[in-house]
Amino acid sequence: MKSRSSNRRNFLKLGIAAGATALVASGGSVLSAITGNENKETGEMIKVLTPDGKLVEVDKGHMCCQPASNLESRQGLPDKKMVMVIDLAKCRNARKCLEGCQKMHHLPPHMEWIKFYLMRDSEEMAPYWFPKPCLHCNNPPCVKVCPVGATFKRTDGIVLIDNDRCIGCKFCMAACPYSSRVFNWEEPKTDKSLNPAAYSPETSNPPKMGTVSKCDFCPDMVRKGELPNCVASCPNGVFYYGDKNEDAVTNGTDTVRFSELIATRAAYRFMEELGTEPSVYYLPAVDRAFDYTVGFEGLSEEEIALYKTEAEITE
Amino acid sequence: MYEDEKTQQNLYAFKPQLEKMSKWGIALIVFLLLVIGFGMYALYIQVADGHIVTGMRDNVVWGLYIVNFIFFIGISYAGALISGILHLLRVPWRTPIIRMAEMITVISTMIGPAYILLCIGRLDRLPNLVLFGRIQSPIIWDVIAITTYLSGSIIFLYLAMIRDLAILRDNPVKNARWRNPIYRFLAVRYKDTTKQKELLNVSTDLLSIVIIPLAILVHSVLAWIFGMTLRPGWHSTIFAPYFVIAAVYSGTGVLIIVMWVFRKIYHLESQITKIHFNYLGIIMIVLGAMYGYFTFSEYLTSWYGSIKWDMEVLYRLFNPSEYWHLFVFAVFFGVLVPIIIVTVPRFRNINSIAFAACIAVLALWVKRYLIIIPTLETPMLPIHDLRPEYVHYSATWVEWALTFAGIALFILLFYLFSKFIPIIPVVRSGEEKDYSRLRKIVFEKQMKTVIKQHKKSDIASTIVLILLMLGTTPAIMAQDEKIEPVLNLAYFHADSVHKITATLRAKIEGRYRPLPDMEINSTVIQGGKKTTLGSALTNEKGKVSFTIPEEIITTGGDKGIYSFEASFSGNDLYTAASAGTAMKPLRMEMSFFQKEEEKMVNLKVDELGADNQWSPVENLDVVFYVPRTFSLLKVGQASIENGSASFEFPTSVPGNQLGYVTLVAKVEEHEQYGNAEVSGTINWGKPLPPLKVVKRGLGDTDAPLWMVYTLIVLLSLVWFHYMYVIFTVFRIRHLGKS
Repeated sequence: MKSRSSNRRNFLKLGIAAGATALVASGGSVLSAITGNENKETGEMIKVLTPDGKLVEVDKGHMCCQPASNLESRQGLPDKKMVMVIDLAKCRNARKCLEGCQKMHHLPPHMEWIKFYLMRDSEEMAPYWFPKPCLHCNNPPCVKVCPVGATFKRTDGIVLIDNDRCIGCKFCMAACPYSSRVFNWEEPKTDKSLNPAAYSPETSNPPKMGTVSKCDFCPDMVRKGELPNCVASCPNGVFYYGDKNEDAVTNGTDTVRFSELIATRAAYRFMEELGTEPSVYYLPAVDRAFDYTVGFEGLSEEEIALYKTEAEITE
Repeated sequence: MYEDEKTQQNLYAFKPQLEKMSKWGIALIVFLLLVIGFGMYALYIQVADGHIVTGMRDNVVWGLYIVNFIFFIGISYAGALISGILHLLRVPWRTPIIRMAEMITVISTMIGPAYILLCIGRLDRLPNLVLFGRIQSPIIWDVIAITTYLSGSIIFLYLAMIRDLAILRDNPVKNARWRNPIYRFLAVRYKDTTKQKELLNVSTDLLSIVIIPLAILVHSVLAWIFGMTLRPGWHSTIFAPYFVIAAVYSGTGVLIIVMWVFRKIYHLESQITKIHFNYLGIIMIVLGAMYGYFTFSEYLTSWYGSIKWDMEVLYRLFNPSEYWHLFVFAVFFGVLVPIIIVTVPRFRNINSIAFAACIAVLALWVKRYLIIIPTLETPMLPIHDLRPEYVHYSATWVEWALTFAGIALFILLFYLFSKFIPIIPVVRSGEEKDYSRLRKIVFEKQMKTVIKQHKKSDIASTIVLILLMLGTTPAIMAQDEKIEPVLNLAYFHADSVHKITATLRAKIEGRYRPLPDMEINSTVIQGGKKTTLGSALTNEKGKVSFTIPEEIITTGGDKGIYSFEASFSGNDLYTAASAGTAMKPLRMEMSFFQKEEEKMVNLKVDELGADNQWSPVENLDVVFYVPRTFSLLKVGQASIENGSASFEFPTSVPGNQLGYVTLVAKVEEHEQYGNAEVSGTINWGKPLPPLKVVKRGLGDTDAPLWMVYTLIVLLSLVWFHYMYVIFTVFRIRHLGKS
């Protein structure tokens, strides 16, 4: 037919995604979301499934958008169990995930919730890039040691921090074996006008001096049915995110069965031997799309040197 | 009471200590106050500017403060264990040193926890420890243990003071208008009657029994803050006993130093003799040997096992350019020097033993530094940071200022306390010594100075914070050329709603980005005639949808084909754009049926013909999806032949708790039909297993029950004894009435 743009295919995919996420497979979240909140109506109606299998139309405004209160944030999203799969074969250290993350959470440049390592386990092995967000352990050492319950594990698998309760003892930082946590050592230099919303542990914003923060797995985005920025920003589709209970993860382009993905690609969890049971799975860097040296692009000399020292690369 | 000659002599000897203060004493106090004042200024800076002013960063989250915390709690052992054990064993030479030991305990147990407070980012939220305290956290163990320990130590010290307080009440101190009533009050009418004496002795014995296991527990709990983490160098099963031994070792060392200092400044040569130094020196080196043994065992085990991370910490400690020198000092010098000095008779004298104690105490401080810092500098993942302060810890002036302020406070409290009550128990002290010489010396040293009111140290220093305002002039870029946006138009048909969706995007900074709040007009073209569907603004995704009224669909279009157009008229930044699409409406119906064991989905698809009648579609590919949180999961596809297709229901797909799954059948980007979809819901999916809620785990709000019971039993045992002792004190007071 006529006047077909070359971008149409992509657009359609987006359109489908946006239109269909409305059909939430489990109704619990919807019902709890509908009751007792003052979210404004957007006029955009979406369909949701009630637990007994009926489709009802709900205004999108009731589903999301208002940041969850500190108490609400302690409840996990019903029936969900969020997981992430990181495909190391596709990562080339482009760091767009971090860029997206910092933008979304209004983080200063040095506050990195996703860290990048050039991994090399021994001399014979080939180096590979290893992006690491918070692993949202199912047996989280950080949560165990918190003296005031400021950091907590939700039923949906997400580990969050209540920055209104955190006393800043940093015990969780010492306890985390993955160096996932960062501290607000000074008054955060963020532009408050860019970020006027009230604080919510689900958005981790605005940050507070003297408290701990980290990757929050973006539960506020999950509420909206939208992907976290790290997943959406990755140019190579490295990050898959989804609900293990739905057995589906997506990197924004492809949606795949979680169980099949981790089975066929021999996924592993980082430092499984520690017994922390992470919610983040890694697909080994086999049949790599990029040589590891591609990851040095755009890095400063010092940084490259540092990576090379860490990975014991001598050239 | 206490009319015996020796007590009177003692009192005579010590009273000047309480009544006068030397010039040097005042100078000392002023100096200590200055150090403390500077520490307070550092604290103010830290609270105002945040912990950025310290050397602590994301990896080394704890620094000198925690080192000092362990150090002070460690030296508090002097009183608890040394005086407790010596008291229980009725060691005859204990009397002159027992009060100093108990004072060390009380004062250092007060200063120690202050350091943990300095580590806390939000002091204003300390009440949260009570409001939301979780007893699964070793920090809460510490809070409970230390408060209990401090309470016990204060009671223990007080019990041991009652006799002296009574004698001071009976022999009022000069120049002490406000102190004498305090002595009177605290002496609780103690008159050394047989009954009172018995009660006091029982209480003291009881408390010294309680305080010994409590002290061991306090330092174990402290070690567990580190031992409970998974960090190399910390996650060790011997950490608790290791810390306990190290603590008693340093506590004994501090006791020897304190003895030496007071012996000099108050001329107690006749009371504190070489015997005390020798005996305590021997206790110290036995503990030192045990500390050396634990150290050897700890490092040998991790070196022999050679786990990667353990080795990384060891390399750091053994690296001459990192911690090797400190390690040698703390582990070899700190053990061997005291042992050699005390064991070789030629080296053994009061001054050398005090020197050995200094070495031991300093080595133990360094050892705590080596426990904390190198481990924190060696996380399991390498520290990837170009900022040197994030890689290596080095304490800032703020931390040093507060460290010295703590030491100054320790000395100051000790000194002031020695002005309040004799540093050596007056009653029954120095049983076998002659005091004539001592008395003479003390009289000679009497000064005319009186206790002066200390000037309030003027800490009125105003701090001006210069805020550098970074003038960020927004760069206004002149837009020479308008950007050409891309408008897409797609037709969607789902559940009998027909709509067209337009998306407006433009390439900005190399990427296509949606253009929100742009007005889009849409029209339907029928027989060459354009009818407006309406105009609307794009949303934040650059999208806008127009529903096609049913009456337009029923017109039949141009031989069943409908054409739509959307246009954007452009503005200052963007040029105009338009897009069109044409399609044939579909009618899709989904039904579920069960054929024997197989669960099937049937799809019926009709198209609207030119005659405005529905007729089966000949050939068409349909894709089946299951909606998930973020996107649609493809579960299969089917080909429509003669208007229908069957598809095996994907029963392995998880549904909700009742197994309800929504299945979506889609026609995508078809040349003739555009996009169409139909969905159906049925409980054929895999039901979601009910949520397994583990309650009372280590990570939960409520603690495991065994933990709660253990805490309750331990605390009630200890506090029962405290209460009993306090009750006894009241009884003593009551007995004193008659």
